[in-house]
Amino acid sequence: MEFRDYYKVLGVERAASADQIKAAYRRLARKYHPDVSKEPNAEARFKEMQEAYEVLKDPEKRAAYDELGANWKAGEQFRPPPDWGTGFEFSGGAGHAGGAGRAAGARRGAGRSGWSGAGAEDGAFAERDFSEFFSSLFGGGSPFARGGGGAARDHHARVGLELEETYRGTTRTLELRRPEVKPDGSVELRTHTVRVTIPPGVTEGQLIRLAGQGAPAAGRGQAGDLYLEVHVQPHRLFALEGRDVTLTFPVAPWEAALGASVTVPTLGGSVEMHIPAGAQSGQRLRLRGRGLPGQPPGDQYVQLKVVLPPASSPQAKALYEEMRGKLDFDPRANLSR
Amino acid sequence: MAGVTHRLEAHVLGEGDWIGATEICRLCWLDLGAVMELAELGVVAPRGTPPGEWQIPATALPRLRVIGRLMRDLGVNVSGAALALELLEARRQLERRIRALELLVSDH
Repeated sequence: MEFRDYYKVLGVERAASADQIKAAYRRLARKYHPDVSKEPNAEARFKEMQEAYEVLKDPEKRAAYDELGANWKAGEQFRPPPDWGTGFEFSGGAGHAGGAGRAAGARRGAGRSGWSGAGAEDGAFAERDFSEFFSSLFGGGSPFARGGGGAARDHHARVGLELEETYRGTTRTLELRRPEVKPDGSVELRTHTVRVTIPPGVTEGQLIRLAGQGAPAAGRGQAGDLYLEVHVQPHRLFALEGRDVTLTFPVAPWEAALGASVTVPTLGGSVEMHIPAGAQSGQRLRLRGRGLPGQPPGDQYVQLKVVLPPASSPQAKALYEEMRGKLDFDPRANLSR
Repeated sequence: MAGVTHRLEAHVLGEGDWIGATEICRLCWLDLGAVMELAELGVVAPRGTPPGEWQIPATALPRLRVIGRLMRDLGVNVSGAALALELLEARRQLERRIRALELLVSDH
């Protein structure tokens, strides 16, 4: 695994005070928080920062991390020392196995490409989607892991869907990793795979509950739930707002002026639509019920965009000249009022 | 070690679902006091009494979860997070309108 330089991630000196570390984290968190940020890779950067802050804000973890030495460089191959964690006193009691490392990841069904990401994002540090480096040093089974008393816990992950998938419904294959205590007392991450059917009509930010797929309770208690938060990927043609979609639809000047019957793409396939005579560029027409499914279903808005034919041939030029000569049209009439 | 594949039906929390205050707190990283303040601010419209027994529509979950994350990760208070949420939503709306106008004037 690769070494992570937590001081570098937060942009602070190794001698930084707790207040300086907190200030650096707050400053970067404001910049890269996934709900707020427009920065590229904001989510990945934010997770790095959370991981770094989780270690550096905790005096015990920071001291142990510092013990690794200052000579390590970010990205260098690293293995935890065999005596890792010995010689420290733990304020929270050592040996409790919390959830470790990656709690949940999702990938598309077999044979499909363009997987768009899902990672755990729990508030509790041990269940966040932290690196292998973090898990090996501070995760479940390490002397630093301090669980929540063995209670069942919910897990949260994000799942990215294409707009067509939210329209038709889809399936996702999720790999869930759970810590299990082995007979010798050590903790092993056990992976199991679930296939989830997502019904049509889910919208941005909506939650999907998978009962009993969270972290198990100690003993024979009921497990927590897994929640998937839906994020709809931007679409090439359609803009999504709630359950409504908007399509910008190019039309010829004569279609707008005279009216026309046109074929319009929708999420459910092409439909015929009538453009009324005298339509203008920017005008929005509604196709009722052609948005995402639901109670009630969303609508599709068709925003007309009048496209001028180029005057690139003698015939086209002649037609434009004829219009100039015969039409009483002043596009700047409003300016002279 | 990989286990067997299980097929699961997902339950989408959406229109028609009402969620208890305790579960809302758990799902959105909020405490009951914060939920009460958000009700005062008009961000959520719960039904029932007392607050501990409130039922809240599941359609409020996406907004409440953003508020919960902003409070948890950025250290802002309830009204600050609610204000940030409104500004974020306004920004998203403006971005959509700008994008629509750009498409009207672009060559593609």
